[in-house]
Amino acid sequence: MVPLPVALPNPSRTHYKRLSVVLTKTIPDAVIAELKSIVGEGGWLDSSADLTAYLEEWRGLFTGCTPLLLRPASTAEVAAILSCCNANNVAVVPQGGNTGLAGGAIPGLNDQNEVLLSLERMRDIRAIDTANFTIIVEAGCVLERLQQAAADADCLFPLSMASEGSCQIGGNVSTNAGGTAVLRYGNTRDLVLGLEVVLPDGRVLDELKGVRKDNTGYDLKQLFIGAEGSLGVITAVTCKLFPKPASVATALIALDSISAVVDFFAAARTALGDEILAFETFPHIAMDMVQQHIDSCHSPFDDEYSWYVLLDLSSQRSQSMVDTGLLAFLEAQLDLGLVTDGVVAQSGAQRDAFWRIRHAISEAQKLAGASIKHDISVPVSQIPLLIEKASAVAESIAPGVRPVPFGHVGDGNIHFNLSQPEAMSAKDFLALWGVMNQRIHSLAVSLGGSFSAEHGIGLLKRDELARLADPVGLALMRSVKLAFDPNGIMNPNKLL
Amino acid sequence: MKTIMVCLKRVVDYNVRIRVKPDGSGVVTDGVKMSINPFDEIALEEALRIKERGEAEDVVVVSIGPADIQQQLRTGLAMGADRAVLIECNEDISSLTAAKVLLKCAEKEAPDLIVLGKQAIDDDCNQTGQMLATLWGRPQATFASKLELSGNVAKVTREVDAGLEVIEVDLPAVITTDLRLNEPRYVKLPDIMKAKKKQLESVAIADFGVELSSKVTAGNWETPASRAKGIMVNDVDALLAALKEKDLV
Repeated sequence: MVPLPVALPNPSRTHYKRLSVVLTKTIPDAVIAELKSIVGEGGWLDSSADLTAYLEEWRGLFTGCTPLLLRPASTAEVAAILSCCNANNVAVVPQGGNTGLAGGAIPGLNDQNEVLLSLERMRDIRAIDTANFTIIVEAGCVLERLQQAAADADCLFPLSMASEGSCQIGGNVSTNAGGTAVLRYGNTRDLVLGLEVVLPDGRVLDELKGVRKDNTGYDLKQLFIGAEGSLGVITAVTCKLFPKPASVATALIALDSISAVVDFFAAARTALGDEILAFETFPHIAMDMVQQHIDSCHSPFDDEYSWYVLLDLSSQRSQSMVDTGLLAFLEAQLDLGLVTDGVVAQSGAQRDAFWRIRHAISEAQKLAGASIKHDISVPVSQIPLLIEKASAVAESIAPGVRPVPFGHVGDGNIHFNLSQPEAMSAKDFLALWGVMNQRIHSLAVSLGGSFSAEHGIGLLKRDELARLADPVGLALMRSVKLAFDPNGIMNPNKLL
Repeated sequence: MKTIMVCLKRVVDYNVRIRVKPDGSGVVTDGVKMSINPFDEIALEEALRIKERGEAEDVVVVSIGPADIQQQLRTGLAMGADRAVLIECNEDISSLTAAKVLLKCAEKEAPDLIVLGKQAIDDDCNQTGQMLATLWGRPQATFASKLELSGNVAKVTREVDAGLEVIEVDLPAVITTDLRLNEPRYVKLPDIMKAKKKQLESVAIADFGVELSSKVTAGNWETPASRAKGIMVNDVDALLAALKEKDLV
């Protein structure tokens, strides 16, 4: 097969560009001074030493630049900033904890100067209502702190992911982040009841009301969820809370094949129902890399197995009932031969150890050499076919490539990551990124899936969105963008 | 060596945030995740390694507590212990009472070695092993971070304040285990199934004829005072001023 060209012509993109106002390439000193005065001393940074951490994405794919970082402390300051930028055609890139993977929160990747807007100083927890099971937090609140605030009130905020110690709820909402509890509680979108958003012209949309029923016309807040900062700046969020589970149980299971993993998932859902919190899978190569490169991560097994499943349950039932139920289910599966081996966490420390292995995969893969990544989803039933076909495609493009497909089986979301062939240089391998992505994205879409399951579009997959999205949907998205942000100041040239 | 006796205490899992009961009569344990005291788990791991090296024939795990400590004993059996003894007791007992009960158990089992954690992570008493050795009239080696057996002698490396101390004790003896001795194994699914068939003997604590009442009673339990919120200062001068104001410099 002939690989597709890296960049496909995209006529609709040119049409779209014509519609936007030409943004300022150099921000006038007077505007910079006005922006600084809005936030006051301590509210802005402009020396390169201070800015480094804000300008580089952790995976190293994007390094940006900006003449000015603004750190507003209130919704009113955000409103004044956007109003000023809109009046002067200055582009604004909002940023949360800078843990994104698609370049969406990095400024200065295009040809104009872009002001970077960090929400990190807006981190208050405004209100918590345990009878209504809701919490109102500001956008810059770090996810872990939000989880802790919920726990302190004897509730659960279930959004959880590897970056939870740094990522901020505003960024989670703007990217509709997924994470490890999607199977049970849904994506971030499912956890949001209300938003406060500053629109590009400085008006504030107050949709914070925490009600679960509200049929009063278009559900506008939904448009900002997953919009990647392209329609406005989210400044506060009303999140759903849940009862804190009374008990948890965790097992690491070994299986012989990916189709056994999928069958095991079906069996688990039937037997354990909604108690399944997470159902994560990874192949032996991932376990190997983690053991080799990450201190204090060891396989709990003496033998090597093809695939592993991290099965995590949580329940309102008592600990002993959950333990007994899990064990009975696993024993039945062992008897049936679907499961080859397994370990059940006997303590919180062992549960943490299992999760550490799962969370360390990305880091270990980074240490094992260059990798080309795909964040794709397909219907769960198609996962074995996807992995088989995608592995063949990858091998045909880069012989000797080492696929490390892992992820959230329950959501059909596979991080189809490829580690460089041992005989190929990192540079030569990474040169294949575009070709590889296009072929594998097309494959995921052809199997009824998505080419970007949870990491979003950003700058990384913008061309892929133009190539693979439904044209009608794409045209509507562009109309929405124009309606909300006619001057195109919000995170330009990302997403659309 | 024939038998090693390992004492396991069930404690609130170390990952659980401890909460004091509103009436101050103790900590909340209802519906809370319970586990084997991590130091005792290390003791069991060491006993199993000794047995796997062919230096012991039989590992028996013993625990005192309510009927549902059965779950932790089953875990011990799944890790590889041969037998379990559950001494049923529904009230809190002191270290001394525990040592007296374990002594009775030791008299019956006649182990060549008793291994247990240096302390339990719930009360941090660090007493039971020492008391048991004294009552038993046998040597003790506490805070073990290395254990070597040869014939009737155990060479034990102890973690002490000044560093490491190596001592030799005659067997039978009591050894209490420290954190760095080993890393306990995981419990495999097939082993959990096998453990169901292993012998778990249940005895009522009353059968031991030990007085349960303690000379020590807990008056009241409370949560430690929470730390006052910090303040941010702009520069060194402001820091010094703030410290002076609090009379700290």
